[in-house]
Amino acid sequence: MGARVVLRASQVGRALALACAVLLASFMARGPAGAAPLAHREVLPNGIVLLVAERPAVPIVAVRVLGRAGAVYDPADRAGLANLTGAVLTRGTAKRTGPELDSAIEFVGGSVEAGTGRDTLIVSMTAQKKDLTLGLDLVSEVILTPTFPEAEVARKVSEIQAAIKRSEEDPGTVAARALGRLVFEGHPYGRPVEGTRESVARLTRDDVVKFYRERARPDTTIIAVVGAVTVDEARREILARFGSWSRPADPPATVPAASAPATVREETVKRELTQTTIMFGRQAVGQTDPDYFPMAVGSYALGGGSASRLYTRVREESGLAYAVYSWVAPWRLGASFAVSAQTRTAEAPKVIAMIREELARMGREPVAERELALAKQYLIGSFPFRLDTSGKVADFLVATEDRGLGLDYADRYKERIARVTAADVQRVAAKYFAPASFNLVIVGETK
Amino acid sequence: MRIAILLLLIVSLLAPPSSHAADRVVAATLDNGLRVLLLEDQRSPIVSFQVWYRVGSRNEHRGSTGIAHFLEHLMFKGTPSHGPKQFARLVEENGGQDNAFTSQDVTSYYVDIAADKLDLVIDLEADRMQNLLLDPKAITSEREVVIEERRTRTEDDPGGFLGEEVSSIAFKAHPYGAPIIGWMDDIKRVTPDEIRAFYKTYYVPNNAIVVAVGAFRAADALEKIKKRFGRIPRGKVPPPMLAVEPVQNGERRVVVKKQQAELPIVYMAWHVPNQGSDDAVALELLSTILSGGRASRLYRDLVYQRQLALEAGGDNSYFSIDPNLFWFWATPMPGQTPEKLEAELSLHMERLKTEPVTEEELARAKNQIEAAFVYQEDSVHQRASLLARFEIIGGFALKDSFLAKIRAVTAADLTRVARTWFAPDKKSVGVLLPKS
Repeated sequence: MGARVVLRASQVGRALALACAVLLASFMARGPAGAAPLAHREVLPNGIVLLVAERPAVPIVAVRVLGRAGAVYDPADRAGLANLTGAVLTRGTAKRTGPELDSAIEFVGGSVEAGTGRDTLIVSMTAQKKDLTLGLDLVSEVILTPTFPEAEVARKVSEIQAAIKRSEEDPGTVAARALGRLVFEGHPYGRPVEGTRESVARLTRDDVVKFYRERARPDTTIIAVVGAVTVDEARREILARFGSWSRPADPPATVPAASAPATVREETVKRELTQTTIMFGRQAVGQTDPDYFPMAVGSYALGGGSASRLYTRVREESGLAYAVYSWVAPWRLGASFAVSAQTRTAEAPKVIAMIREELARMGREPVAERELALAKQYLIGSFPFRLDTSGKVADFLVATEDRGLGLDYADRYKERIARVTAADVQRVAAKYFAPASFNLVIVGETK
Repeated sequence: MRIAILLLLIVSLLAPPSSHAADRVVAATLDNGLRVLLLEDQRSPIVSFQVWYRVGSRNEHRGSTGIAHFLEHLMFKGTPSHGPKQFARLVEENGGQDNAFTSQDVTSYYVDIAADKLDLVIDLEADRMQNLLLDPKAITSEREVVIEERRTRTEDDPGGFLGEEVSSIAFKAHPYGAPIIGWMDDIKRVTPDEIRAFYKTYYVPNNAIVVAVGAFRAADALEKIKKRFGRIPRGKVPPPMLAVEPVQNGERRVVVKKQQAELPIVYMAWHVPNQGSDDAVALELLSTILSGGRASRLYRDLVYQRQLALEAGGDNSYFSIDPNLFWFWATPMPGQTPEKLEAELSLHMERLKTEPVTEEELARAKNQIEAAFVYQEDSVHQRASLLARFEIIGGFALKDSFLAKIRAVTAADLTRVARTWFAPDKKSVGVLLPKS
């Protein structure tokens, strides 16, 4: 049922903003006073945190199993190992081959996918309620008895290498990769999740098996079950499959938090394109820091929506870009703040100057009352739409639990955002938005 | 086609069905011709309010392509009572999200917002249906934004660039051959007067559909819509689009070289009938059997078993107003040639004509389409979009018979449809060659 369409707003920008917002913004965890919390939470005897949200109206169930097995735990000479592990995880279990697993879940119109990010490896399952037993069987097989067949590892290595090669033609990906390296220099976050073609070439099945054995453990696993299911049913089904997964005696290895590199840098990547992609970035703070909330408001006022300063000046008034936006991205061990735009090559210096001016202005003078109110009301008020499907609720639950934000985070977030003043925004902008503190990546035609 | 692939996923989620769903739709046509579809969904205190205009790149002429999409941008540039930027500002400061898209057939605007803000949205949408400013200065600056958008999507995106080239050779007479965003020279040339005339012609209540799904009482919402939109006078019936694509006589081919591309791409496209034909649901199933998931034919054979392709798929345009294209695509793995992939895609096409699909494949595809309908019910936005899509092609109630039609398709139907529509000399082929 495909249809080709052209959107007004930047899809990339919106998607990024949304992805970040799901992790960081507020939402109606509780409805009106006295309503039930978003989810039931309990810790199973082996340490698994189980979160269940009942949404009975539509007969589907979304499950997420989060493990602390993201790319940040890749050994320094094995960039891409976590990502490869995630890619092969669904490619064979003690009971089924990868193709058998695909056929089983797709026959009922469901899906089982594994995806790796900087911090986590998440297995996602969606199925109709009637197929929940099958879906959970597959998820538990994938998590508890993956076989990582040699041939499947080899397949994924060449697929990932080809995907990396292909991504080199996408200027946004090229810029984000380079910026990550500059912003998190010296920390594992600086390495691309997928690794490089060279690093991936060195990975072996033994690496994968060892990595998974070390990182997959019940006491760092979070499971969310959301949809047409009751708490009792979810607990019973999860315990039946994961209850005997035993917790290792040793604590899991940890990675230190990111600290800001000593210097900021500029990097230019030459590409024969009609546009230049501009990406500014630096380290920032996450939700556990009080500065986070004014920063979220400030980022929205600067480049968050179609009423923001950058959108107004760069796009609406000057016609210099289709996509221009800023966003805060919090991770478990660090956070980043970035501003990005794509413009015709001849105008890149002008857009760079505009972004620098607007960054500086955020710290120099307070935002207007109306800008402040708009940003706060948007961040608070739009949240229900970020939790309007079972899949989105499940994503949110495992992410907030993993960050230790608590089930009341939504309420606290709303309250903290509501309290942000123009002076708070200015103070935090002076601290984090100073133009000279940003790394800059430019991808495009250069003189 | 990467965009199209993504959209395939999105649009498949739009599928709904639960046989009861349409029963509760409140449908009305106002005196001025505005079609209104309302569906109560009380699960959350939110509403998705959408206005769909029956105009897209399909209604454009040579020399002024991209005008429908350009106008979509300008719909955010204000009216006398809601000045420039007020639309986005009012929506955002009320916690809402808004956007719009233009397709070959339609231009659609949506606001997803708290249900108690419904009055505000009705007021804004009714206002810009009738009173758009279309200030020449705003047009001048927005023209540059659209040009940047074209650079991002087409000039600097090898897949987007190739897709445009293939469409343009596949259609000789029908406007589906022109890109939705428009040719670059047309975007640069089109005048404020032409845009104003386009707006006056197509943005009339009798050419629009209002769809809302969410936490309201349908009777109340209908009254509000009547009160506000009802004041807008009926317009002239927009001119019909009369072009008919002649039968294709012989294969067509385009080869494009792109310096920045890292891997080749192969597209193949065949003309197929639209949903008015009994063959349309069979084509939907063929598309699912070819590329719906990792158990699908093209993935399992070309991507998984033989590792010839990084990705491969097929895509049908079920909701198209006029007969459109059925697409095949593949990205060869490094070391594989586009010629090899084209040959392999052709073999898959030939196999569909000679061997019936297995019972398992057919059942799986039906189950996948049916499940996608159920998943779609989870979101008010998706529910509203789907009602509008079916309304555009003939009536929202068609959505209730869609699954029954899908279930009735047999393996023999698929063989027959493949033989009917996928003749080797009726395809258009596009090959993108990377640098060096």
